[in-house]
Amino acid sequence: MSNYTFRGGVHPEENKEFSRESTFRVYEAKGEMIFPLGQHIGKPARPLVKRNEQVLAGQVIAEADGFVSANIVSSCSGKVKDIGPRQTVSGKMAECIVITNDGKFEQLPGIGEPQADYNTLTPQEILGKIKAAGIVGMGGAGFPTHVKLAPRNPEAIKYVIANGAECEPYITCDDQLMRGHAKEIVEGVKIILKLFPNAVGVIGIEENKPEAIEAMQMAAEGDANIHVLTLKTKYPQGGERSLISVVAGAHFPGNKLPADVGCVVDNVATIYAIYRAVCFNEPLMQRGVTISGDAIANPCNLLVRIGTSCKELMEEAGGIKEGVTCNKVLSGGPMMGMAMTSMDVPLQKANNAITFLQEDEVATAEQQLTACIRCGRCGTVCPLGLIPQMMAAAAEKKDYERYDKKLNGLDCIACGSCTFICPARRPLMQLFKQTKAEIMAERRAAAAKAAAEAAAKEEKK
Amino acid sequence: MNELNYGISSSPHTRSRLSTGKVMYDVILALLPATLFGIMHFGMDAVMVIVPSIAAAVLSEFLFNLVCKKPNTLKDGSAVLTGLLLALVLPAGVPIYVPVLGAVFAIVIVKGCFGGLGKNFMNPALAARCFLLISFSSTVTTYKLDGVAGATPLVDLAAGDPVSIRNLFLGFTNGVIGCSIAGLLIGAVYLLVTKGITWEIPVSSLLVFVLFVAIFGGQGIDLSFLAIHLFAGGMILGAFFMATDPVSSPVTSTGQLIYGAIFGLLAGLFRIKGSAADSVSYAIIVANLLTPMIDEFIIPKPFAYRANALTGPRALEKSSGVQFKVPAQAIVLCVITLIAGVGLSGVYTMTKDTIEEQKELAAMESYKEVLPEADSFQPDEALDAQIEAMAGQVYGDSFGRVYINKAIPAVDASGNSVGCVLSVTSAEGFDGNVTLSMGIDNEGTITGIAFTELHETAGMGMRVDEEEFKGQFAGRAVDGFTLNKSGGASSDSEINSVSGASITSGAVVNAVNAGLDFFNNVVKGGN
Repeated sequence: MSNYTFRGGVHPEENKEFSRESTFRVYEAKGEMIFPLGQHIGKPARPLVKRNEQVLAGQVIAEADGFVSANIVSSCSGKVKDIGPRQTVSGKMAECIVITNDGKFEQLPGIGEPQADYNTLTPQEILGKIKAAGIVGMGGAGFPTHVKLAPRNPEAIKYVIANGAECEPYITCDDQLMRGHAKEIVEGVKIILKLFPNAVGVIGIEENKPEAIEAMQMAAEGDANIHVLTLKTKYPQGGERSLISVVAGAHFPGNKLPADVGCVVDNVATIYAIYRAVCFNEPLMQRGVTISGDAIANPCNLLVRIGTSCKELMEEAGGIKEGVTCNKVLSGGPMMGMAMTSMDVPLQKANNAITFLQEDEVATAEQQLTACIRCGRCGTVCPLGLIPQMMAAAAEKKDYERYDKKLNGLDCIACGSCTFICPARRPLMQLFKQTKAEIMAERRAAAAKAAAEAAAKEEKK
Repeated sequence: MNELNYGISSSPHTRSRLSTGKVMYDVILALLPATLFGIMHFGMDAVMVIVPSIAAAVLSEFLFNLVCKKPNTLKDGSAVLTGLLLALVLPAGVPIYVPVLGAVFAIVIVKGCFGGLGKNFMNPALAARCFLLISFSSTVTTYKLDGVAGATPLVDLAAGDPVSIRNLFLGFTNGVIGCSIAGLLIGAVYLLVTKGITWEIPVSSLLVFVLFVAIFGGQGIDLSFLAIHLFAGGMILGAFFMATDPVSSPVTSTGQLIYGAIFGLLAGLFRIKGSAADSVSYAIIVANLLTPMIDEFIIPKPFAYRANALTGPRALEKSSGVQFKVPAQAIVLCVITLIAGVGLSGVYTMTKDTIEEQKELAAMESYKEVLPEADSFQPDEALDAQIEAMAGQVYGDSFGRVYINKAIPAVDASGNSVGCVLSVTSAEGFDGNVTLSMGIDNEGTITGIAFTELHETAGMGMRVDEEEFKGQFAGRAVDGFTLNKSGGASSDSEINSVSGASITSGAVVNAVNAGLDFFNNVVKGGN
């Protein structure tokens, strides 16, 4: 058993067996495809196409707007049907480009063709290719990769961490990707290492994926600069901060970035996309996604085009299992996933799974809610060493001063370990998210007020 | 079928199997071995405490919620647990109103009135025990087995009577229903393994307690003495099941270590130096009261803000410390124990000789006081040997548990014998030992008595030390005294009891009678 792990954490039921042996099956979208302009953290992209315009697969249809933003690439050929609000995975309405899929998937010329050896490229050229491909963090966060890979001081980066932990229950698409494309992922790590002259590559994988570990070890064999690290199976092992605490032995406050402690962490799917973009000039059009859960007929791993309707994916997996009721659908896994409110939404770059569950455990938990019994389990499982029990008490009293200054509550990464373990079934995570939003709103209001006052003063003069 | 509903909620969407009810029922399960041992040992007397206690706790929780229009909270199991815990800290065979009143007090006053589950500022069961100790002190400190009252192991220990550690371990002693250490430890191991309780509180409290007893118990590191103190008087029950009540103990690991150390220290202090009938309960209650303060001051910083935030073990380095990590708490605990140990033993060593000297001086003074004619005392080797031979044995069979400590012949300035002084202890005071010095002249007349050890209740038993009582002995030459409880003594051999303190008065009379008997039969007989 591996001893490499972080402090705290929980062990929810893994439930990977539903789909872990399902190799990727390519599914080609049939219906219209929708591309939200904001599939990443930061400013939404700016549309480059007009209604009724004909587009090809691989064409940039919206470009990054501002520093933290990313390109949006069409994954099909067809006509732009509409640019306007559509419902997205999160349930909210957002600006989207809708394309009538002609079913031909005609590609822009030059895509998929082998490129010049990446060793001949400069860091700027590599970053340019990544940016053009519209690559964002594919593990769920969706942070634009070309921004993450361009820290102020590249010499200070010591570790490039490939995140293959996949600690979320049910999800197996990274596992399958590592088993099937180990060589490509190692090449991807080498491309990133080109950007950081002083770094070593570390591929972290939870020990419940022995086949992936073996495949990666074989692929990385002989390269002294790339290590495969077997991690203990524990949630949130795949959290950026958990991985950094294992690999670099560093913990850092919420207002710092991994680069500040000499680390860059990228999901293995992101690294695979970087490899395809740099070596084959292929923009991010396709991704692996796990369709799983105890309420779906045929759990599987699919290789699908981004923008495909989730309803098609559900049908491809056989729909809801005969004779059962599905009471909850999640984009992602049960620990950090989001509850979906409709299947008529497009799959986005950062969506790694759709999970169909028979039981709504939160509804059951609400029935068992009691007062806090102060057992302190939340504090022992917090991977950051926060004390959720005290944070909750401060949040309930709206004592935001204490919540922030004394308890560092704003550092919370929303992993949900405390809520998972709480015997009193307190909805801690929800309270913390709400409190963070309120504190941020207060700060914005205060800043706006200060700005208005300053402006008024200026006017008086 | 194959229906699709969109259940909406914030993440995480899955929960562990834990629930408040499971936490409580796990503790109840862990208490079952001790409960069964108790029932086997005390029989129906135990059942008649356990059942009413649980029933009253459950019923009062139900009624309190009903009256206060609060949701019914019975299924969280905390009322059953409180009832069971209360029963386990009561003696078997107490009248039924004792557990019932205690359970109502625990649920309604300590828990309900302060806001219900999670809001009680003390462990409800222990608060109820303390309430009963104060209200019905003799009832709940009389330990009966099959209707016959007997001394608890700690009383036996104080009196120097042999205590069987084996019986203590198995629970074959006079004590509360939950006195079977074996049963309690089975439950404790279960809770530790399943993480129903944390290790911090039992480990730090037991460690500090044993350390305190070893240093101040007066027997040094005598393993059987330490084992008796550890196993008797509810320390095990307290450390594993009472102090670990999550609601009234600190939330953080460091806080729990400090809390445990405070509890262990107080339990040791109350046990060795205190005069109350219980040490563990009061120690836990005081520690409970300190919990909010501990939680306010001990807020461990998140990992990122600690001094070693950037220097943790690195997985790829050869000398990686990841594999062999000593938990930081263990180091904290060792440091606390070490500091406490060094501090306590330092103070003790510094004061030890002085204490002994003071004791000697006090004894000498009391000898002069009780036999004013004496100029000096000349120990008699034969007499000393005889007393040595009786060490730890009750003297005679008509004086209760009385021990002769010393008998020293006295001479005046010109070297003529003027009588003898004796030191006698009765272990049957209201609260432990009563030791007195008495002087007897050669005609067998008492010249006076003085107390050198007295822990009785102020204003009651303590009044034996007033002239009105102890002055009655001086100048009388009889074979033995009798105690007149109604206060109308008419003959030389009758002593008026201190009103309301017949137990203490009786102990004094017995001690004096034993001293007289020893003087007449041994000192004089030997001469």
